[in-house]
This record gives sequence, C-alpha cells and structure tokens, in this order.
Amino acid sequence: MCGINGIFAFHSASSPPQDTELFKTREAMRSRGPDGSGAWWSLDRRCGLGHRRLSIIDLSDRAAQPMTSEDGRFVVVFNGEIYNYPQLRTELETDGVHFRTTSDTEALLHLYARHGGEMVHRLRGMFAFAIWDQVQRRLFLARDPYGIKPLYTANDGWTFRFASQVKALLAGGQISRDPEPAGVVGFHLFGSVPEPFTLYRDIRSLPAGHTQWVDAAGPREPKPFSSLAEVLAKGAATPVLAAEIPERVRDGVLDSVGAHLLADVEVGVFLSAGVDSGALLGCMRDAGYREIRAVTLAFEEFHGTSEDEAPLAAQVCERYDARHVVRHLSQQEFVQDLPAILEAMDQPSIDGVNTWFVSKAAKEAGLKVVISGLGGDELLGGYPSFVDVPRWRRRFGALAGVPGLGLFVRTLIGRVAPAFSQARPKALGLLEHSGTWAGAYLLRRGLFLPHELPQVMDPEIAREGMRRLRPLRRLSASLTPDPGSDVARVCVLESVHYMRNQLLRDADWAGMAHSLEIRVPLVDLALLGALASSIPAITKGAGKAALAAAPATPLPNEVVTRAKSGFAVPTGAWIKSIVGEASSSIGQKPESKGIVSRRWSQAVLNGAAIAKRPLEVHAS
Amino acid sequence: MRSSPAMLALVTDAYGGRGGIAQYNRDFFGALAEVGFSSITVLPRQAPDFPAMYETVEQLPARAGRIAYSVAAVRTALFRTVDIVFCGHLFMAPLAALIARLKGAKLIIQAHGIEAWPRPSRIQRTATERADLVLCVSRHTRAAVLSWAAIAPDRVLVVPNTVREVFTPSDAATQSAALAVGGKRILLTVGRMDSRERYKGHDRVIAAIPHLVAKGHDVCYMVVGEGDDRTRLEALARYAGVSDRVRFLGAQGLPTLIDSYRAADLFVMPSTGEGFGVSFLEAMASGTPALGLDIAGAKDALADGELGTGASEAELSATISRILDQPKPDSVDLSTAVHARFGRKQFAKNSLNVLNRLIETA
Repeated sequence: MCGINGIFAFHSASSPPQDTELFKTREAMRSRGPDGSGAWWSLDRRCGLGHRRLSIIDLSDRAAQPMTSEDGRFVVVFNGEIYNYPQLRTELETDGVHFRTTSDTEALLHLYARHGGEMVHRLRGMFAFAIWDQVQRRLFLARDPYGIKPLYTANDGWTFRFASQVKALLAGGQISRDPEPAGVVGFHLFGSVPEPFTLYRDIRSLPAGHTQWVDAAGPREPKPFSSLAEVLAKGAATPVLAAEIPERVRDGVLDSVGAHLLADVEVGVFLSAGVDSGALLGCMRDAGYREIRAVTLAFEEFHGTSEDEAPLAAQVCERYDARHVVRHLSQQEFVQDLPAILEAMDQPSIDGVNTWFVSKAAKEAGLKVVISGLGGDELLGGYPSFVDVPRWRRRFGALAGVPGLGLFVRTLIGRVAPAFSQARPKALGLLEHSGTWAGAYLLRRGLFLPHELPQVMDPEIAREGMRRLRPLRRLSASLTPDPGSDVARVCVLESVHYMRNQLLRDADWAGMAHSLEIRVPLVDLALLGALASSIPAITKGAGKAALAAAPATPLPNEVVTRAKSGFAVPTGAWIKSIVGEASSSIGQKPESKGIVSRRWSQAVLNGAAIAKRPLEVHAS
Repeated sequence: MRSSPAMLALVTDAYGGRGGIAQYNRDFFGALAEVGFSSITVLPRQAPDFPAMYETVEQLPARAGRIAYSVAAVRTALFRTVDIVFCGHLFMAPLAALIARLKGAKLIIQAHGIEAWPRPSRIQRTATERADLVLCVSRHTRAAVLSWAAIAPDRVLVVPNTVREVFTPSDAATQSAALAVGGKRILLTVGRMDSRERYKGHDRVIAAIPHLVAKGHDVCYMVVGEGDDRTRLEALARYAGVSDRVRFLGAQGLPTLIDSYRAADLFVMPSTGEGFGVSFLEAMASGTPALGLDIAGAKDALADGELGTGASEAELSATISRILDQPKPDSVDLSTAVHARFGRKQFAKNSLNVLNRLIETA
C-alpha cells in the first residue's frame, strides 16, 4: 500500500514537467508511504514517476520504487498487493525469469514484459499501477477489478498526470479546480462521488477493472478488462443447490483469507461483534496464522450497556486465541479529530468516520496491515436492499412504468401535503423510480433524489450535473450483462456503486491517513467467481449463516443472533450534534437517520469551513 | 475504417481564405494529404481570394448561404465516398453530425477559439457530444469545450496551430530602416481590428505608450491588419497624444509581413480572446520576442513563458519596458525553438495522431 504519481508531457508542444510538481504531488501522499520515497525521470525528462512506500512485502531497499526492469526498458510504480505473487513467481521462474527481489512489484515488470497489457488477467489482488515503456515511449495504467486501490488521472491536452489521491494531484499546482457538476450532483445523490467523476472537472478516476494507454497521441479511453456482472452472469448459468452454499462459502473464504495473509509484517484484524470480521478471524486461524491481534472500537457511551460490542468481540477473540485490543472512543476525541478527518478525506463522503478511528487504533497498536470484513454484506446479501429493491420492483414496478404517473403523484402530494413530502421524500419517489433496477436502487441508496437537487444546490448545476452524470443510465450499465438473479443484481449494484465509491474509498483514505493497509478478503474476484453459482440461491440470512460457519470452529451463536438485531454506533448522534441546525430545505426531522446524513453531507462538502471553526459539542 | 480514408470537410474557408482559421484548415488538409488520405473534399462558405491549387485536395465552389451550403454538403456526401466528416466550425456541427450519421462516417469537430468558449446551442452541443474526436487549437479551448460538452475527455485533443517555414529571422536593422522609424524601438501587433470583437488589445498597447515614453523608451507602435475598428483606434491614439507614434500599416502580403515581424523589437498582442494566436509564433519564428496576456490560448503559443512572455493586464506596460531594456534574444535560437515545437514536422505528427486515433476506434 503506497502512494504513486506520475507526469507525462506527451504532446510535442508541451514543456518538460518540473521536478517540483512531481515532488509536491508525491509529498502530499506522505502518510500513504512513510517508509521511503523515490522518483524517476526518463532521459528526455518528459516522463516522471514518483512513489511513497509503505513496506509490506520485501522490506529491503532493493524493493524500492520506482522499480526498473533489469534491462532498463520498463519502470513501474505500484500501489497495492498482488496476493497470487508466489504462484506467479514460481511460473515465471519456471520459464527462466530471474528475480532480483522478493517483491510483488518486480513480478509486475516481468509479467508486463511477457504479456503486455494482458498481464492484468493474471493478477489477484488490489492494485493500481503505472508502467512506462522506454522503447515504445508509452505509459500503461491499470486498476483492480473492484477498485480497492484508487488511481486518479488528469489530462490538460498537453500533459497527462496521475496520482493515488485527488488532493495530491491538486497539490502539484498545475491542475484546474474548476468544479465538475456531475461530481457535485453524484455526491448529493449517493453520499460519495461516483467514478469516474471527481469534484473537479479536470480530474477523473481510472474506473475499476480498467486499463489505460498513454502515448504521444495522448491518453486513450480507458478499456475494461473485468466485469462483476459478467462473473455473476456466468455463475447464474450453472446454479447450485442451497445446500451446497455453506461448503462453497467455507472453501472460498478460507482460500481468500489465506491469500490475503501474504506479508513480511504482522497482519492484524478489525474486529466488531459482527459475523464478517469474526469469521475472517476464525479463518485466519484456520489458514495457520498465529499471534493475531484483533482491534475493536468501543464507545464510552455504551460502556457497560448491551450496545457495547467489546464483550462479544472479546468472546470471539477468546475462541480463536487472538489478542484483543480494545480502543475506547469518546465524543470529545471525535470532535478533536474532525478537522483532521475532513482534511484526510480525499473526496467528500458521508461515511468513513468509524474507519478513521479503528485505523487510528490499529496504528497505535503498531500494526501496518489489517484484515477487514468489508464486502461481506455485498457478497452475501447482508443489506436490506437485497429485500427492498426486488420487492419495490415487484410491487410498484408496473405502476412506475406508466409514463408520467410518478411525476404526477409526486407533484400532487407535494402540493396537497408539503410536510409529508419534506419528511418522506423517498416515499414520493416510489412511483417514479421503481420501474427499473437502477431506479429502485437509487431510491434505496439515494441520499437525495434527483427532484430534490434544485433545492440544495444551484438549479443550473443540478441540471447540468444530471445531464453529465446520467445516474440511471450509469447504474443500468453496470448490470450488463444481466447477472441473472435478483440477489446477483443487487450484489452487483451494491458492489459496483456503494462499496466501490464509498466503502472502499473510505477505507483507503482513512487507512492511509494512518499509514495502515486495509485488506478485504471478501472483496476478491476469485472469491466472487467461486461463489457466483451460489449467489442466486442465497436467501435472507443464509449467506451470513454460511460465513459464520466457515471457520473450523464456527462463530459463537451469540454473534449470529446479535448480528441479526443490528448494532448501534454513537457517531451518528455526535454528527447530529454538530450538524443539527440546517436549512429547512434539507429536512425537518433531525431524529431521522437519513436527514442527519443529508445534513452531514452538506457539512462534509463544506469541510474546510467546518474544520476551521471551533465546534460546540452538545450533549446527545 | 480504411487506412487511406476519404474526408469531406465542411469549413468556413480554407484555400483562398484569409485569417488564422483558413490557414489552419489549409495546414491540416495538407498534412492529412501527406499522411495518406485518399481524397479530401473541401466545401467552403467563402473564398474571397483566388484558391491556390493543391494536388491531393479538391475544393468545391464556395456556398455562402446557409441553405445552399447545406444542400451542397448533403449532395456532395451522397455522391462521394466519405469515411470522415470534418467540421471546421462549431456552427456547422449539426449539419456535419447529420452527414456523418447518414454516411456511417467518423466525425471530427474542430474548435478554434471564442466561438467554442461559451455554451453553444443545444443542437450544436449534442452534435459535439456525438463526435468521435474534437480537435482544439489550445488547452484553453479544450477546457472550454469540456465545460459544456458531456464527452469523454480523451476524445478531445489539442492540435495547435503551426508556423510556416518562411517565417525566419533576418537582419532586423535593415528591415527597421526600411520602415523609416528613425531609430525608434518598434512594437508590433498583427491582427484584425474588428469593432464587434475588440479583444486583440490594440487599445492596451496604445494606452501603455505614454508610460513607456515617460520611462525613456522612444517607441513606435506598428499595427498590421485591417478592420472597421481602425478609425476608433486612430482616435484613441490622438486622444492619448501618441498618434505620431502609432502607424496603421493595413493588410500586408506575406513578404512584407515577414519583414515587419523581423523589424520589430517586440511583438505585443495583449489579447483576451486568442484561441491560440498564430501571430505570436510567426513573430518568434521571425526572431522577434513576443508578449501576450497570460490567459486563454496565448499561454500555449507563448509555451507557458518558455518561448514568449505572458503578463497580466496590470503588468503590461512594466513588462514591455522590461523586455525593451533587455538585449534582444538570439533570433536564430528563438526561431529554431519555435519551429521545433510548433513547426510543420510537429503539425504533421499531430495530424497523423488524429488519423491513427480514428483508425484505432474504427
């Protein structure tokens, strides 16, 4: 896990880039890689690469980056981990390749030399990298299929730039901060900025599962090399019986956890009292990992109450013989850290606060790498959306298909019962959006609905942003080819949109702010492939039950039972105490979780202002 | 798409036309003809001068009226092979998009400068968003197009103007003597004086002259170009008390224009609306330093300050003074650097890149 950046003055009219810009961008990512740094320039100084290193595999200086191939032709900067590196190395060595390091970075150079851009199909892991070819004078960029690792690019027509963070690109000082209406609108719709957009028109994300070439003719349009929908569509063609699910989940998860333990430093685990992290801890033991430290975030408000997760997490630790690190968090600390949280947030997000604090705790414990249960709900049908979205489609889909009916009903209710429409904005959208999977999903996940946008932003920006973003078309496109079942469709929608643009991005900025690598074994294309035939048969609770039973010693029953009743965290109340006063256009009911999220979104968007003014803490 | 495609070019003017856009079109078609286009059919709206023949490019008779032009364009497309439709001006984009669709051809839309900066009509915007490639003469124009068009940024390329080989340095003293300025330092602007636009910055230079004289610079301001704003500018010079230092030379033929560039001590065009500003290149290729405002397309022509100088409007007078105080840069070095970056060879390479990009996406 590192920070990478680069500048390529591809156009013959452009001036060679400056050292200072490369360094400014790189050093803006210092927390991503505190263990070392490097820079490389092509002989004509038209291409420069930068790297900040967090040493995880091969801690020696010989594995430093940018790394050059032995013949000097290829140069790579890489952020992430290649979990099948040992197998790839064996294959390459069998073919006569000589390795100079024990780093997975070197494997990328050898694979690229042999397979060119097709190499990405051989990689299992989380990755964002760029390889410069000195002979063909072109740059190759790639990003992993789920989008676990970020990669942002900017092209002004003369010069191409990339970096692991938006703010790092801006720190270089050469990129316009002109706003991107699609990014602003996307944030209001989803609570995070949907890729490939950012808040800035000149900065884009390389989409997950895509590669991109850049040469003297400029950057080409990114090309996809992997599709979650395609994996699930193939799986749907060979469905398995529900009875086979537990065994497949066990085999798949154990395999993924084993792969994710590849490291030359200690690997810890984020542990809540939920099924996902507990099962992963159990599988870490089954994979032969010993001396495991598990980090749990506990809240002072809940101490000694039934809401406290720490006791149950302790029980899980005892079962799997892990050392338990409990970190207590107070409202005071939350308020103190808030400016730093908003500063570290690379792009605005309405979530990520919990990840910030648990990462902070892991860092304090001396960990560099942790396993997280992120992705379990998307993979195994854990969200209410797996029930709601198909149900809404069934109940309201036909009515929503009547042209104009939804708009008419919304307008009518808005006039005769304005209080209702303000308190329950999503209810008004049912007849407007339930006609399609994309619409029903937007309704479920939406922070604001499209018709509300002109009330919370400049109507012209709202209109232009909707035109550029085309949210429904974008959501629908992710369902091509058809994943083949209701569960698989929601799995794709949640994975490709909510998880990718919010959860994974939050895990990246919050973890990296503490120089911590967060690994996500439940977000793994090989695991998805192994479970693709099972996913259509997963019913409510069955997926999580299978996961709880995955370790050789299953999770305690209390964890499974408790997980069903849900958990409470006080950060929502703390946020409410900060953003409680908001304009009536955002919503009138501060006790509603959705309304608090809406107000928080406005606070995040104006993060700098909040970060600079003293906060008054109210009793929650 | 074939590797030797046939192109239909819908343009305002090209062969027999005047000004930067016509020159750009001629340069572009010439470069494409050299990289292997089987045929380039040019349909202009106007051709005021006698069109010079070009062996691999056919220019059809000009059609000034909108309807006549559209009919001619559609008719030409129907009876000829068309692999690529080139649209030389945004206002013709809907017609070009229609023909491209009818013929199943690739669509290239060219954006030059101020015509592409404000948000265009909906129909022009939609046509632009359907283009396979949008070519912009500068980064500024590209950014402007991307501000209103929902199009993948990687389909919007910068192909800057080029400077012809005839613009070379020579003995400046001889040229200066020929202009009979009596030893004065020569400031030069080349550009049309259009009362509808008034962005070239003649006013700003005239306003700066009293300050320069006060600082001891014995300057003479030469203005090359024509236009209906000349009378106002003459009055402005009189009002500023510098009419004896301002000379309007009118339009010049190429040999005389080159001599004017060579004679100048400083080419200055503090324009706020340059899509690119090819006259900056011509001046520097003729060995004369160039100064513009540090905004819009001029930044590209001045190469972000590496070839010429960009200044803010407030610093214009002081910057002219500073440059006049400095020794004139080596004219051969300056000319060589300009040709290396914006010369015909680079333009041909950029044009080939365009063709390759279209072939890749075919």
